[in-house]
Amino acid sequence: MEFKIEVNDKFITVNEGDSLLTALRSNGIKIPTLCHMNRFSATGACRLCVVEVEGKRDLITSCSYPVEEGMKVTTNSQRVIQARKTLVELLLSNHPDDCLYCTRNGICELQWLAAEMNVKERKFFGEKNIHHPDYSSTSIARDPAKCVLCSRCVRICEEVQLVTAIDFISRGNQTTVNSAFNKGLNVSSCINCGQCVQVCPTAALTDISHVEKVQAALGKDSKKVVFQVSPSALASFAVYLNMKIKDDPQGIIVSALKKCGAAKVFDLGFAIDLNIMEEAQTLVSILKEKSGQKFPLLSSCCPAWVRYAEEFRTEWLPMLATAKSAQQIMGTLIKSHYAESSGINSENIYSVTVLPCTAKKFEASREENTHKGISETDAVLTVRELFQLFRCYGLDIGQLQAEKPDQPYNRSSVAATEAGYSGGKAEAVAREVFRMLGGKPEDFRFTIPKNLAGKKETKISIGDHQLGFAWVSSIKEADDYIAMLLEEERDDIHYIEVMACLGGCAGGGGQPISRGFEKSIARKKMCMEMEKQNQLTFASENPALLSMLKSKKVFSDQEKVSDWLKTSVKKA
Amino acid sequence: MANRLEGIFEQFPNRRREDMIPLLQAIQDQQGYLSEETIKAVGDYLDISINKIYGVATFYDNFRFGPVGKYHIRLCHGTACHVAGAAKLQKELQRLLKIKDGECDKNGLFSLEVVSCIGACGLAPLIEVNEAYHTSLNTASLKQLIDSIREKENAAI
Repeated sequence: MEFKIEVNDKFITVNEGDSLLTALRSNGIKIPTLCHMNRFSATGACRLCVVEVEGKRDLITSCSYPVEEGMKVTTNSQRVIQARKTLVELLLSNHPDDCLYCTRNGICELQWLAAEMNVKERKFFGEKNIHHPDYSSTSIARDPAKCVLCSRCVRICEEVQLVTAIDFISRGNQTTVNSAFNKGLNVSSCINCGQCVQVCPTAALTDISHVEKVQAALGKDSKKVVFQVSPSALASFAVYLNMKIKDDPQGIIVSALKKCGAAKVFDLGFAIDLNIMEEAQTLVSILKEKSGQKFPLLSSCCPAWVRYAEEFRTEWLPMLATAKSAQQIMGTLIKSHYAESSGINSENIYSVTVLPCTAKKFEASREENTHKGISETDAVLTVRELFQLFRCYGLDIGQLQAEKPDQPYNRSSVAATEAGYSGGKAEAVAREVFRMLGGKPEDFRFTIPKNLAGKKETKISIGDHQLGFAWVSSIKEADDYIAMLLEEERDDIHYIEVMACLGGCAGGGGQPISRGFEKSIARKKMCMEMEKQNQLTFASENPALLSMLKSKKVFSDQEKVSDWLKTSVKKA
Repeated sequence: MANRLEGIFEQFPNRRREDMIPLLQAIQDQQGYLSEETIKAVGDYLDISINKIYGVATFYDNFRFGPVGKYHIRLCHGTACHVAGAAKLQKELQRLLKIKDGECDKNGLFSLEVVSCIGACGLAPLIEVNEAYHTSLNTASLKQLIDSIREKENAAI
């Protein structure tokens, strides 16, 4: 039901049941918040959304107050403005003054608020809490000194990812957001998805940065630094810089990385094609009862999801695909196939992947992804870090001439780009399976709803086979769905694509910091644009890939092929 | 230890979320404090993240995370005791026992915990030694009390 309320001497139309904050914002009235997140329950923790309501003695937090008929609200009275300013000043009283040295300088919500509220000097002097930063994780750095206790990270970790690696510890002015027993994130149940970094308003949660490492390697003459950029990172790059497909974002990234000193820039999509072929192959062999594995087959390319399964759902591990993730396929290929074919000592190759993912840093450090103690992938840059690298080198992106990615890993199919958003990889695998079982390419149909929510299953039929494909994103959705499937003993779903981040890699933890889902949808759309430009529909049609697989050297050594493509998970 | 926990778990057969605090209290009553292992065991039993349990437990002053001595001393530092000289008593206790608030001495004899009002303001300042109140203390009578405990312990050896 709709009714009117009076706000700042004007009438606005609101929906019954909405919070006052939602109603005000949807009418274009600006209300500052720190703790509020769309789709999450209100906590009223930061109190910045306070407004004056006639008849109420105290200021009320609009995020946790429902709209009422006949309400008279003032959002910009002297009292409200002063209260908000004081709140920010109090937050700043226990916050370090090191904005110049902060990774979030310029994109910090606390900094913005301080500017908006016209805070010009420190008003509250007193003892600050002493906190110890935590750099123990391979992916995520924590600095509790910069935490404003808004609880966004706590809520996303618990409610969306079901992990609860961090929570409020102690109380009152001693409260911190910390892992159990105040130990490091590395020994917690953290799955490294980086969603907490995405929602953090300040720099309390950031990447474990690899930028310095990469710069150091770029500065060494003896090192050949090779970059692999994933299609999802490309889409993110293009969206961030408002580029169109005709601007050739891939060509520009290649050119920019070369300017930074990269020896080679490859297309990580090449390895995604391989990964998709391998997963499709696994599915077909289960179908033909060649392997002992049972349906459903769960995708294993998302390292945060794999970590979750190892930590919380060990009984599901046998269902996980054994294909290596694209990053690790590429890492192995570069340090063996590429090193051999180009005559470079693999010790002199420094391999860097660029992805919108924090968990890939963790994946690269896993023991099974090292060879004689040396990582297959030396460094992983999130999209945020890629921009940082470009800023360091002072590149004027708009002036760069597009260049082509380097051979031999220079092409990828539509399938590789599809893997960049939820539902896409399921389609790519389905298409490959369809072809493997003798279906005609032009007969292939696979429907994905256009928005991020919606139906998550579809069926395809090939000859006598009816195969079910499903896709889930966010751990909660994945856990609920798979548990439901097993409980109901359904056997109509054969493949489940699992992505730990909402919306898949398009909403990844390593994406540029943004609020809400708009950017995630824009990145998905960009991926789809890129697909339209690509003539290669099937992963197994990729000419670069075919020429590699055709070379006699590769085929004669089955052990090597399996070393490239297979991995194992921890059987706890 | 696992067996000892089993006995406590049996009292909470429904494994409900709201059993968490009573369960933790029962464990602390039995073991004197909550160790990492017990918190993990409670997490497994109730199917709640250990981080959540640790978060709740650290919220309440009454939960301890380190072992207590044979004589656990709780020093009241409520308003009345503060006015009556609790700070002086604390200083003296720390000097006598060579431990600070929240610590336990090396041989496990004494541990010290400074608490808010324990509800005997008329008898301030006071300390509680293993749930027995020792009231209207001054530094001299406090030393006497500690000495008498030490003597008793030495005699026992």
